[in-house]
Amino acid sequence: MSPEPAAQALTEAWTARFGDEITTEETFGGRAVGVPPEHWLDALTFARDDLSCGYFDWLTGVDELDEGFAVVVHVYSLERRHHLLIRTRVPKRAPVLPTATGVYRGAEWHERETSEMFGVLFEGHPNLVPLLLPDGFEGHPLRKDFVLAARVAKPWPGAKEPGESGHGAPSRRRVRPPGVPDDWGPHA
Amino acid sequence: MGPLSRLAPKPVKFVLNWGRRYSLWVFNFGLACCAIEFIATSMSRHDFIRLGVIPFAPGPRQADLMVVSGTVSDKMAPAVRRLYEQMPEPKYVISFGACSNCGGPYWDSYCVTKGVDQIIPVDVYVPGCPPRPEALLHGIVRLQDKIAGESLGDRYAPSNGVGGEPVAPPPAPRPLSATVLRRPVQPPPDAGETRPLPPPLADESPAEEPPAEESTAEAPTRETPVVRPTEDVTQPVPPVEDEGTPDRADRNEHDPSIIPGLAEDGHDDEIGRDR
Ligand code: SF4
Repeated sequence: MSPEPAAQALTEAWTARFGDEITTEETFGGRAVGVPPEHWLDALTFARDDLSCGYFDWLTGVDELDEGFAVVVHVYSLERRHHLLIRTRVPKRAPVLPTATGVYRGAEWHERETSEMFGVLFEGHPNLVPLLLPDGFEGHPLRKDFVLAARVAKPWPGAKEPGESGHGAPSRRRVRPPGVPDDWGPHA
Repeated sequence: MGPLSRLAPKPVKFVLNWGRRYSLWVFNFGLACCAIEFIATSMSRHDFIRLGVIPFAPGPRQADLMVVSGTVSDKMAPAVRRLYEQMPEPKYVISFGACSNCGGPYWDSYCVTKGVDQIIPVDVYVPGCPPRPEALLHGIVRLQDKIAGESLGDRYAPSNGVGGEPVAPPPAPRPLSATVLRRPVQPPPDAGETRPLPPPLADESPAEEPPAEESTAEAPTRETPVVRPTEDVTQPVPPVEDEGTPDRADRNEHDPSIIPGLAEDGHDDEIGRDR
């Protein structure tokens, strides 16, 4: 499928500005641009000023296991009506990224949420404290290695068929719930 | 009415309970999708007003019944508890839906409270995800049966071991004092540059001691504190300093500390900075 002319022009604009440093890809969510973390703020400023993407929609993170955390921003141009997904990847060991609040002020709460959910540190953020989690919460619950402790303490209370009680099929109980390490829980 | 109704003869008790069960002002703690079913129950097709349940109490302080419908998260749980405590006695709680009964589909979530009965006493549980409006009607009828059979004297008796069904005990005394939960009282906004300062304790205490003999000595000292003479040595913040920084004087007009976290800086959107 060849991209439409407008999308093609967008890709060319990115390549003309950043050369080989970036990758572009057509995804189900629209055109995605991958940039290295050093060019994160440059890329956002370029999208806002030169591609007229003045509407900041959201910022979030993706846990990509060994490859680190992806940080994704969705922006939209109200004038030219194109979407853009801009993403970068920070290493799992030191997930640090400069804050986007200088480019899009609306990114502040999104970065606070991403920070508490994934543990990504946004350098220069004016107020990087937890936004949604209750006080005293420990851990980053949207990381894939975050263990849901309720699963350890209690088997799945549901049933697959109506009328099936939780006592049938005892062999299924032996299986560890997804995401629970082998040395956790009462049957360890 | 409450403790005295224990002494009331049986017909009077019946009338009191009858009045209570058919005028339940309900307060909808709608937190997720189940709240939509609650609203459907209150609308014309199911219409729980015909059972004497009056929807949309002005607030928890005017409500008799709280229906917790939806997913209670750990962050929301203190608010549920606090609004429950604001309701006047006798008060009843219906837990509507799987989420508020036990956590429901989010039984293993990191942030969902596993049942609202962990924080407040619940009278009737309505199962379902979401329960149909008829299920809520059934739950209301069950609650009314319970109210009809109860005695408020027994409900608030210190040792409540006699009744058939255990009724909701009065909540434990709250750990925080009421002033912690309330916002601080703000000075009137028209004070402008010369805001009324809190009278310093150092010169207030000598003024308080003499009035025992003669009250006229107090009258002149009482009038001065609002516009305080500048030669007062114990004045903590001279108002002249405020004029030097224009933005600070500007902020004094609409005091930003009404919203927690806004007092420190000029940004509008940094709520929660001081947590
Ligand atoms: S019980 Fe089901 S319908 Fe009700 S709030 Fe929970 S998820 Fe939504």
